[in-house]
Amino acid sequence: MAKIVTLEQRILKKNSEVAAENRRCFDEHGAFVVSLASSPGSGKTSLLEVALGRLRQEVAVGVIEGDVQTDNDARRIEALGLPAVQVVTNGTCHLDAQMVQGALEHVPFGQVELLFIENVGNLVCPASYDLGEHLRVVVASVTEGEDKPLKYPAMFRRSHALVLNKIDLLPYLRYDMNAARAMALQVNPTLKIFETSCVTGEGVGEFCEWILEQMARNHAA
Amino acid sequence: MHEASIVESLVELVQQNLEPGQRARRIEVRVGLLTGVSPDAMQFYFEMMREDTLGAQAELDIRLEPLRAECRNCQAVHEFSEIAWLCPVCGARGLNFQNGDELHLCNIEVEDGQDRNS
Repeated sequence: MAKIVTLEQRILKKNSEVAAENRRCFDEHGAFVVSLASSPGSGKTSLLEVALGRLRQEVAVGVIEGDVQTDNDARRIEALGLPAVQVVTNGTCHLDAQMVQGALEHVPFGQVELLFIENVGNLVCPASYDLGEHLRVVVASVTEGEDKPLKYPAMFRRSHALVLNKIDLLPYLRYDMNAARAMALQVNPTLKIFETSCVTGEGVGEFCEWILEQMARNHAA
Repeated sequence: MHEASIVESLVELVQQNLEPGQRARRIEVRVGLLTGVSPDAMQFYFEMMREDTLGAQAELDIRLEPLRAECRNCQAVHEFSEIAWLCPVCGARGLNFQNGDELHLCNIEVEDGQDRNS
């Protein structure tokens, strides 16, 4: 006999449950967590290097790095004298909540108040996976064209902030910043937008201030 | 492609909801147009994975819901079969989507493992 069992459950229910566990762990340790996503080569790690240089003067910082292969990015953070944990996915194109949970035992929470999670370079897949973070930032460099938000709406819709990076290259590009901002806000009108250069440092200060403000608001809540 | 991971999660979820001796015949899922998830890729991975998990009798039925959106300018509500960004009434750029993020397991048609009519 065949029968229909009605479920109406989220397919990624398990990921959501683990993400909630991660969030509880972060809150118990008083850590504010920010995830960074982008396509490969947008400058996530470089942005972190420059931003951490400023943020570390205010709060204790640490990073969980996600990559398909190598620990190059974790090494770059460690070279700054900051704690970094590398998650190597060996093929999986995104971090999920379980992978982050597995990394948590290596995070020195006693010395980390602000934790960044840098996702695998990919604008598609990470959008489906809540990691338990408090804030989601998407980075798009000006060399990628203005219409990334329209091409990858899921990622831009779920993000709290957009960093338009590599603005030092603008003199060499036909990039319409107004169009880029308009398209981003069309997809997500609540996006906070920053324009940065990791070479000149322009805009990174404002980005750091905003993160610290969000952190303070989270602690007050 | 993350559809492989999504299908793995789906198969696990279906297995958790089967009683001992039950098999899944038809699995109905709902995929929102804003998720960026490819139904073809999901079908591909499902067919690869079903033999060793749910069995060859299991079929995946993927429903793509039309996107419902309200215009931020004129408040007109429309349904779209693909992602759209312009209001068809006033032409403004700026739609608030009312759905589109779903990735749901709706229901499973199950049968007894002893059913010989499969």
